[in-house]
Amino acid sequence: MVVEQKIAEVIETSNSEFLAECYDLDNVPALGSMVRTKGKGCQIYGIVYVSATHSIEPGRRIAARGKAATSEADVFKANPQLAKLLCSDFKALVVGHSQDKAIYQYLPPSPASIYSFVYACSPVEVKQFTQSLNFLNLMIESRSTVAPDEVIAAFLRYASLTHPVPEEFLVKAGKELAWTLSNDMRRLDSILKRL
Amino acid sequence: MTLDITQVYSQIEAMAGDLKSHQSDYAQKLELAQTTLKSIPPHQDRLKKKIEDARATWLVAGLKEEISLHRAAVPCPDDFMVVASDGSHIDVDRHHSTRLFLLNIGLVELQYGSKPDAELLSLPTLYFGDEMQAIRSGDGKQALIEGQLLGIKRGVEECRGLADRVCGGETDLPVVGLIDGSLIMWGLVGQRYDDFIVEQLLDEGLLKQFDRFYELNGKRKAVIASYISFPRSADVVNALRLQICPYDPVDCDNKNCKGKFEGRGCDVVGGVLDRAVFAGMLSDGERSAVFSSRSSIIERYGVHQVCFFYLKLEEEVARVEVPLWVADNNKLLDLVHAVIVDQCHKGFGYPVSLSEAHEQAVVTGADREQFWDLVDRVMQEGSLAVQQSLKQRSKKTKWL
Repeated sequence: MVVEQKIAEVIETSNSEFLAECYDLDNVPALGSMVRTKGKGCQIYGIVYVSATHSIEPGRRIAARGKAATSEADVFKANPQLAKLLCSDFKALVVGHSQDKAIYQYLPPSPASIYSFVYACSPVEVKQFTQSLNFLNLMIESRSTVAPDEVIAAFLRYASLTHPVPEEFLVKAGKELAWTLSNDMRRLDSILKRL
Repeated sequence: MTLDITQVYSQIEAMAGDLKSHQSDYAQKLELAQTTLKSIPPHQDRLKKKIEDARATWLVAGLKEEISLHRAAVPCPDDFMVVASDGSHIDVDRHHSTRLFLLNIGLVELQYGSKPDAELLSLPTLYFGDEMQAIRSGDGKQALIEGQLLGIKRGVEECRGLADRVCGGETDLPVVGLIDGSLIMWGLVGQRYDDFIVEQLLDEGLLKQFDRFYELNGKRKAVIASYISFPRSADVVNALRLQICPYDPVDCDNKNCKGKFEGRGCDVVGGVLDRAVFAGMLSDGERSAVFSSRSSIIERYGVHQVCFFYLKLEEEVARVEVPLWVADNNKLLDLVHAVIVDQCHKGFGYPVSLSEAHEQAVVTGADREQFWDLVDRVMQEGSLAVQQSLKQRSKKTKWL
């Protein structure tokens, strides 16, 4: 039995997105990757749209410390407190949920539970979720992310690798995007160029 | 209406002008202090005796090493630990109906070397009820802890937290325990506190914690030291006053300079601080000679008699205080010196462990407000009457 490795914990949550703090510093899931967490009676799927590493205290600026160090690892070795004063987190856009093994590509009835664990989705889960591409609409319409086209393209590239023939998946996704963005050719072109 | 800063501006200008006019006078005094220090012969027996015999009005440093000594730091051990402690408090607020106070102790444990690690803790304790909020004597006397006494109590608890952490550890690595400020309980000096208060805060409080460090030395190198940034002390300059003083034995108030407030022979170095003298005599990372404090309260310290040295860092001269048993042991003294230089280097001029301990301990204005709101809420939920003075209410609600 494969034991799932939790990577983070939800610390801010809403119907459309959640913020999760990673357990390991500087070890955030890739942009556009898919994660899963728990909601009330369902599993919630999100796509990582931004991640950051910063001071745990908003007012404390991080200073450069490596001038005399020979490697980046030496900075942490010489300053062991840093690992406790910095944290990495990411925000994920909610793109669907599952209940009783059925997948729904629309927002769940309630947000992800606060402090619920976050797991990186396995390739099997991603493949299963992307059998349908209705969720793309949620990503296109989202106003959360500053570079939505980058996130959409990153996710599609990442998801394509879970399918037997990645190119076929990308063509299917391209058609879906063409349909959704039929009145915005500039944006469609921008996404397609990134696939 | 708040402070009218435009009115203050001209006064600040006048102050700056006044300071400027004394600059060249001060530079001369400083130069003379440094020349005097350098002129003292290595055996310095005459000055030592003069200090021992003196009845001076100021606090004079005791000489333990050659006064002009300057020594570079040895390298830090390969593996070692630094544990630092700092504290904050919320004092008793007489405008609140509930009498209580809160101490927040910040503790930081940093391990360097092959297994770097860090532990950062914030340990708040609420003191409430008669038992926790007073110091009592065996014969029924009591002193309520608040104001200055609370500040002293906090110092004891900072040190207790430090000793708990160091003595509770299972490692045998060399460890330096650091506190911010002085090892000398200045709050008790010159105050007319009953002996039971001094006994409980100093003998049974602070010094008992020093004992724990001292006793730990059988098992591992363990020292306690305090760090004073930008010190305003002049103990060494006062020793130079004695060197300059034409009288021997020195008896300032009763004989030699009775009634004189200025114009004394030794005033040629008056107003100069130790840090200024050593800033020009030490190189970066070097320490001065070790001196002993001769404050009246030190008599109670026994084996923990406070000694100190000055340490030149890139941007300031700091004062480091250690107990006598550290000062008398070269290996322990070298450990303190090396570790503090390293800590300052890592903390951009101030020991990083102390800086983080402060961050763990700090209680902001917003924290205080939230604390009192929480106290009121919990009291109300428990159907307890919450009263506050009308003055307090008037401050919260600004009427027009």
